[in-house]
Amino acid sequence: MQTDWSVVLTFLPQLLAGAKVTLQITLFGLVGGTLLGVLAGLMRAYGGPILNAIAFAYVELIRGTPIVVQVMFLYFALPVLAGVRVDPMSAAILAIVVNAGAYIAEIVRGAFLSISRGLTEAGLAIGLPHWKVLLYIVGPLAFRRLIPPLGNQFIVSLKDTSLFIVIGVGELTRTGQEIMAANFRAVEIWTAVAVFYLLMTGSLTLLLRMVEKRMRIL
Amino acid sequence: MSIIEFRQTSKHFGDLKVLDQVDLSIDAGQVVVLIGPSGSGKSTLLRCINGLEQITGGDLVVDGISVREGRRRLQQIRQEAGMVFQQFNLFPQMTALENVAFGPRKVRGTPAAEARAQALALLEKVGLKDRASHYPSELSGGQQQRVAIARALAIRPKVMLFDEPTSALDPELKQEVLSVMRQLAQEGMTMVVVTHEMAFARQVGTRLIFMENGKISVDGDPREMIGNPPSGRLRDFLQHVE
Ligand SMILES: Nc1ncnc2c1ncn2[C@@H]1O[C@H](COP(=O)(O)OP(=O)(O)OP(=O)(O)O)[C@@H](O)[C@H]1O
Ligand SMILES: [Mg+2]
Repeated sequence: MQTDWSVVLTFLPQLLAGAKVTLQITLFGLVGGTLLGVLAGLMRAYGGPILNAIAFAYVELIRGTPIVVQVMFLYFALPVLAGVRVDPMSAAILAIVVNAGAYIAEIVRGAFLSISRGLTEAGLAIGLPHWKVLLYIVGPLAFRRLIPPLGNQFIVSLKDTSLFIVIGVGELTRTGQEIMAANFRAVEIWTAVAVFYLLMTGSLTLLLRMVEKRMRIL
Repeated sequence: MSIIEFRQTSKHFGDLKVLDQVDLSIDAGQVVVLIGPSGSGKSTLLRCINGLEQITGGDLVVDGISVREGRRRLQQIRQEAGMVFQQFNLFPQMTALENVAFGPRKVRGTPAAEARAQALALLEKVGLKDRASHYPSELSGGQQQRVAIARALAIRPKVMLFDEPTSALDPELKQEVLSVMRQLAQEGMTMVVVTHEMAFARQVGTRLIFMENGKISVDGDPREMIGNPPSGRLRDFLQHVE
């Protein structure tokens, strides 16, 4: 078996374009997913019975189903149900938002509830409303504990985008597949794809390490 | 004029009755020391005053405001009744100075520079001016508790509530906290103190309350009550703590 690494160079523009799509899905998906996750997590932790139940149902629904099924649902079933057209890119981003949001909700809930009840009471005892206690005291402390598990979820979500090959969105894995189909250079192309993923997850890990270092965990 | 008034106040946790129709009136300037066996409801009584626990029966009026008047009014009560906890509960991400300045800044909207100056003066009062820029993790327990007292004083309360403020401290660190409390009492602060420091009760207390099973069982002058306990159970209790 002969390898010819020059094909990687030949197809570099396509691979880069695929990586760019992967990054776009991840970035927009995680911004949305983090917002949704924080909201759902706070509803779980402080929401009262009704909000709590809504957030709980959402989290369980997402955690109990595979992400491939979720994105298939968003791309193929939702248009039928709601009568709207969803392009593959939007479906992919939405899938990350909804999927990461559920896992982040549990991370957020855990981090907030791990902060000692005494600190909340101390904040309340000086006359602050509860939301200010969460904003100024519990939030900043919880945030520090959030970073490591949040970083994990970011990396998982980045890699999950490769599953969107099933709806034909032109991300990195799909790109690799298409190049492969044309020239059958499996070793070279899949190695290159793997290296691209490693570069992206590696940068993310490095970035998180830096943030973690700047924050003392209290 | 009473500043705290329990009127047939009850508190239940589920089926458990922790405060049982308590009637108690505390006047401005009194230093009330609260003692009693574990589980008798001392902490609960204290925490009902500033609404950290919600009463389930009767009424409780603090500085003219009932704890049942709603959230906004409760926040007002909390600004009139500062609380010091057994576990200090300083905000770990803030320095001593920031801990003390935080309340005035966020509750009263005091400008930063003014809040800082006030906080520094309060830290000086509790003998910790030189520790202003230290984080709680860099302070001893006694120092943390003194910062916590300064933090509670910073919102200019009319009453100070202490829940076993020295119980988590080594014996040699208790005194520095007690002496700050003594000074506060001498300045005329109204205080309700849960403690088993009977020397403090004798020297500083103007009133001693012995609680049993969610009720006030003895209420009187600390020196008389300690010197000549009017009930057998109080006598046993005092022997136990001393
Ligand atoms: N949040 C709660 N939920 C359920 N029960 C509680 C709660 N807080 C206190 N209790 C119960 O209420 C009773 C009185 O508690 P409280 O803390 O007021 O007693 P205490 O006199 O302060 O005791 P200690 O000397 O041990 O601090 C105890 O039986 C306790 O278990
Ligand atoms: Mg107690």
